[in-house]
Amino acid sequence: LIENKWDNPMQFVLACVSYAVGLGNVWRFPYLCQMHGGGGFLIPYMLMLVLLGVPLFYMELAIGQKMRLGSIGAWRAISPYLGGVGMASVVTSMYLCLYYNVINAWSFWYLFHSFQSILPWAECPVNSNLTGPVEECERATPTQYFFYRETLDISGSIEENGGIHMGQALCLLLAWIIVYLFIIKGVKSTGKVVYFTATFPYLVLIIYLIRGVTLHGSINGVKYMFTPKMEQLAKPTTWINAATQIFFSLGLGFGSLIAFASYNQYNNNFEKQAIIVSMVNSGTSIFASIVTFSIYGFKATFNYESCLERVRLLLLNTFDLAEDTISLENVNHWIAELNRTHPEQFASLGGRLETCDLEAELDTAVEGTGLAFIVYSEAIKNMPVSQLWSVLYFIMLLLLGMGSMLGNVIAVITPLSDLKFISVLSYLVGLVCLFCLLLGLGFTTRSGNYWFTMFNDYGATFSLLFIVLIEVITVCYIYGIKRFEKDVEDMLGHRLNCYWKIMLAGVSPILLIALFIFYIVNYIQGGTPTYQAWNKELGKSVVTEYPPYAQAFIGLLLASSVCCIPLTALYTYCKKRNLASGKRERTVSTVSA
Amino acid sequence: MLVWILFLLCQVGAPALAQDLCQRDAPNGYKVRISLKTALGEDAYEWNQSEMFFFQATMAFAMRRHFQMETYNVDNIILCVQTSRVSFWFVVTSPDNTTMLIPKADVEKAVRMSRHRINNAFLLSDRTLEFLGIYPTLAAPVNPDTPPWLIVFGVVIGAVCVGIIALLISSLLQKRRKEKGMTEDGQDEEDMQVKGVENGINLDGTYNRGFTDDDRFTKL
Repeated sequence: LIENKWDNPMQFVLACVSYAVGLGNVWRFPYLCQMHGGGGFLIPYMLMLVLLGVPLFYMELAIGQKMRLGSIGAWRAISPYLGGVGMASVVTSMYLCLYYNVINAWSFWYLFHSFQSILPWAECPVNSNLTGPVEECERATPTQYFFYRETLDISGSIEENGGIHMGQALCLLLAWIIVYLFIIKGVKSTGKVVYFTATFPYLVLIIYLIRGVTLHGSINGVKYMFTPKMEQLAKPTTWINAATQIFFSLGLGFGSLIAFASYNQYNNNFEKQAIIVSMVNSGTSIFASIVTFSIYGFKATFNYESCLERVRLLLLNTFDLAEDTISLENVNHWIAELNRTHPEQFASLGGRLETCDLEAELDTAVEGTGLAFIVYSEAIKNMPVSQLWSVLYFIMLLLLGMGSMLGNVIAVITPLSDLKFISVLSYLVGLVCLFCLLLGLGFTTRSGNYWFTMFNDYGATFSLLFIVLIEVITVCYIYGIKRFEKDVEDMLGHRLNCYWKIMLAGVSPILLIALFIFYIVNYIQGGTPTYQAWNKELGKSVVTEYPPYAQAFIGLLLASSVCCIPLTALYTYCKKRNLASGKRERTVSTVSA
Repeated sequence: MLVWILFLLCQVGAPALAQDLCQRDAPNGYKVRISLKTALGEDAYEWNQSEMFFFQATMAFAMRRHFQMETYNVDNIILCVQTSRVSFWFVVTSPDNTTMLIPKADVEKAVRMSRHRINNAFLLSDRTLEFLGIYPTLAAPVNPDTPPWLIVFGVVIGAVCVGIIALLISSLLQKRRKEKGMTEDGQDEEDMQVKGVENGINLDGTYNRGFTDDDRFTKL
């Protein structure tokens, strides 16, 4: 039990918004939107929000507010056999804490490097004998080189370990110190911080929206994204991706929502707040994707026009034509013309003649860290006054990341402080932060990014689905939907209306089971898990299989959180049996067993 | 008469000889490419014979500057294969013997030495006045003693640490003030123990367990 509460309901709402609106809204949703038919993707997305997202969000807030304990205590109170659900949430949150702050460390690195007259990812550095750019940078692009070589100093595969990158380690240290500062006093300090972390990113997004739509070529990106391709709706992956996106974007199953709600006043109207936060989260995703795609369109148009310029110069130089004969508009016309009039000379051009295609540039959909740190920084370097835009962008990424990080750490701290083995809150927080920092240093080694990707792909996805499925079944069928209804009526003053009842008891569990089965089938069908390894000779990423020990580790990640549930159930059962058999020997039990 | 024929032959022969020395892909020649419109846009001047003469003069200057002993002249720079791009080939003959060409490597050294002067003479840059085969030396990277990112990092981490220390000190002071308040008024302590503290809410009055909600715990 922590002796503090939110100062007012607004802090709670902003904390939930700050937690839910995170990096996924900026870099995963635009990618999914583009992959699954642009504007048409909004239909499955909204549907899943209503069927799956909002009811489960509501349920978690209700549990937290009623039990007023962190996830371990709350689930133990609901059903002692299924107290393991809370434990599984904490383990999953712990994994998330370990690797998520590394993203914040990268954001700090990029932010600090933005304070230079020429952005370091704008140009290739020169090699040692000053004859040209560094080879690796030539084969790749300057932004990729900066990310893979200078930021990560990445090795060729997950097996090749290396030393710790000192710059990364320092940035990670800073990130953890800031998290400590924000949580040092529990929700009293967090409550004040979220006023800023929840609202400032919107300011930056609006500024970026204005900047984005005024950039040359941005309309190409926005048009590309919103052109609905309705045939995508027929594919089941579209619906499944919509469901998983809603699921992970709202942060269900980590225990953070239960932890946040446990600091509420008993009669807080969480029903209204659940709807507001879910709507805000989805609205932000759509808003962020407009911004992302206008920037994307700018980058694609810029690259396309640079390509045309290079082709134009090549033609001018090879055929020695006057400079103003070929312009950017008639390059393609001239290619055909010159092929016809000087076929042998044209053939000698060979592979040097590039084909410039705007659609192909737009099609290079990238998600995750690639989008944020490579594609976006490439677009930013071409904007006028790029340092300002770079600083703004990385501050926004930091706020989004920190906001989510607060939720993750509170999800771990609240149950631990309920267990009461360290009474002073700041010591507990300090211990958790230190522990996560030391383990997180492993992600700053040369092969660290591969381990990061592994944690990102496997650490939380499967276990969360399982956890939330068990949660819903526990609340609706083991605890009983009637008792849940009574609890809610006790808190809110009015009964659950039939929307909530139908969704929680019927639709959501069915959808979750379907998602769960799909995941297992997909995993089995996928064969050996693979990852993208950076090859410095080729200057691009190569698909590589995980070595056996890494695959075993993946299995460990998945199993360690999931098996908490059956193990705790077994342990509780054994304990009760021993207790019951002990009591029977002594006295006649008056307690109904 | 014979002298007159010989003279005529020389007049015809010399340029023909010069033509033989300077040709496309000449072994000791360089191709020059000039991009006036890219460099100067609207202010681009027209490339004509006078400009070609200026180029010859500039190259002669570059050769003189490099080989300080020998006196190169405009005639020693032979231009040919001019196109509308604008591009042309040139070779350099020795001032002592007009049939002998200066080797490629020496011409390159001379150009490298005076590259900056040549560029400025034509208001162009390394990119717009290209000598194909002579790569410009890139500027050495500026390496400051402390990388600038470290400075910003130092500022931020300093500010954050100050914040943490300030918070810890303020909470310490608050605790001390509370302790002072408690020892003065001992009654407050007893009241606190009587009042149930559940989840941080100080309930008014005593907590009557008779009205506990037993249903909170699921029956096994």
